Amino acid sequence: MKAQGRQVPVLVWGAALLMLWEAVSWFLLEWAEVPMAQSKLPYIHKVLATFGTYGGVLAAESRITFANAAGGFFLGAAAGALLAVLMSASKWAERLAFPYAVASQMIPILGLAPIVFGIVRDEEAARMLIAAYITFFPVALNMLRGLKSVSPAALELMRACAASPWSVYWKLRFPASLPGLFSGLKIAAPLAVTGAILVELMGASRGIGVMMLRNLYYGPSHVYMFWSTVIVGALLGIASYAIVSGLERIAAPWQPEFRTKGGGR
Amino acid sequence: MESGLLSSVKGEEAVREQAATEAAGAQPVMETAMGAAETTAAEPATELPAAKRTAPPGRRARSAGEAAGRVVLPLAAGALFIAMWELKVFHRLLNLQAYQLPLPSAIVRAMRDNFDILLSYAGYTLTEAILGMAIGSAVGFVVALAATAWPGWGAGSLFFAASLNAVPIVALAPIMNLWFGSGMGSRVAIVAITTMAAMAINAHKGMNMADPLALDLMRSYAARKRQVFRYVRVAGSLPYVFTALKINTTAGMIGAIVGEFFISSRGLGYLLSNSIKVAKMPLGWSCIVMAAIAGVLFYLIVERLEKVFIRWHPSRRT
Repeated sequence: MKAQGRQVPVLVWGAALLMLWEAVSWFLLEWAEVPMAQSKLPYIHKVLATFGTYGGVLAAESRITFANAAGGFFLGAAAGALLAVLMSASKWAERLAFPYAVASQMIPILGLAPIVFGIVRDEEAARMLIAAYITFFPVALNMLRGLKSVSPAALELMRACAASPWSVYWKLRFPASLPGLFSGLKIAAPLAVTGAILVELMGASRGIGVMMLRNLYYGPSHVYMFWSTVIVGALLGIASYAIVSGLERIAAPWQPEFRTKGGGR
Repeated sequence: MESGLLSSVKGEEAVREQAATEAAGAQPVMETAMGAAETTAAEPATELPAAKRTAPPGRRARSAGEAAGRVVLPLAAGALFIAMWELKVFHRLLNLQAYQLPLPSAIVRAMRDNFDILLSYAGYTLTEAILGMAIGSAVGFVVALAATAWPGWGAGSLFFAASLNAVPIVALAPIMNLWFGSGMGSRVAIVAITTMAAMAINAHKGMNMADPLALDLMRSYAARKRQVFRYVRVAGSLPYVFTALKINTTAGMIGAIVGEFFISSRGLGYLLSNSIKVAKMPLGWSCIVMAAIAGVLFYLIVERLEKVFIRWHPSRRT
């Protein structure tokens, strides 16, 4: 019952936004007679119709983009997690890598996309590399914070039980690091998709970004198709976030925000 | 009465500590990056090394050595990296040519030769990022306010703000170009959209972290809804707001640069993608260096502001 009560506003908001979109589109086209009105905000029902007609192509292309982004995402996440474990285990590694990891957070990483594409001419590899690179640092930083969030008392207990370093990690640090790991992954997932699409726009042969670019160049006759690709791109980003959030619920279900009652925030 | 107040203070402390650990995530981190040694004070209490550091008696001498290690080691590693790069170690390892991955000396030369244009373009890109971030963050904050004031319906709008966060920037670029022309406006719009969500979500979180006991206290003072917002919710959300602002500085720079890749005749992103197209790799790299410097500066300014504005906050007290 409660879940239903929460979903109603979202649904109403969604419906209202769609109606507003349709109304503004109609207003631009019929009343204001803005030049290129349909390119600026096309009728949403026509975009959806295009979705139906070309759904197969859109799905095939977005699968390529998504697969590349996911591949890079896993590579980057694995490397980031490895670096986090290294940094938590060795002070030297932390001192060496930590300032750079932090500085990299302040640098517009996506700006590197054309350069990476210039170095690695292979489009699949470039897409995966960018996605991996974008994923790497948020995951490393957030997981390190998680690994370090272990309570000193628990560590002392493990020490008192003469636990091996391996079991300290396995039983204490890894579970404690999961929330941090997932907050890093949630930051990185949509970014990885963005990175993959960006590389495609720089010049690839397949993927949703390529379709976006082509339909943009064809001009007003391909407006609905262009908007469909944009919506697909957005959906890919949202889907990646939703998948990671779903995994988080399965892997680390004890976090306060998942509680339905009690415990407060 | 007294015990009630006491526990209220305690509860507040706990909430603030929580806020502090979250805000501190970025905080102590910056100081290490800048080479300052006194990270100990700002670090969250839960971290392990803090407990270790308080113990030994000969701490002063050791911490001086530690500080040197903190600064010297990363710097040495960075210098070694650049030296290896200059000596073409990476080129040999990865089988690259100098025109694919330009040498640091060539990048520095390109920067010196084009310094004026790089500086003016960096200013242009930074202006876009700052304007867009200001607009986006303001809108995001208002959304958060509305969502807190009318929880039932406002939370729905928050869901859409959050999903905007997942929309790839590159998909926005062509649309904003159609809406706002190829001038500065389209990039400002891109940045505003990408920064809005982070602010809305963070500020909403901060406003709803308000201590229930503090709210009860306001109620017992017969405070108006507006006063509750002003003194409890908005004030309490400031650490979260600044966390969002810091996230948004980077997001803003990325949005501005990526927006310029496709539709612009000025700016660092334009120069970057253009010089890659005509195979002027050193110039492209110098754009990246410039963007990195501008990004770090922008971040440091926001962090400075944070220190000025929430000096009163427990997480900032030393």
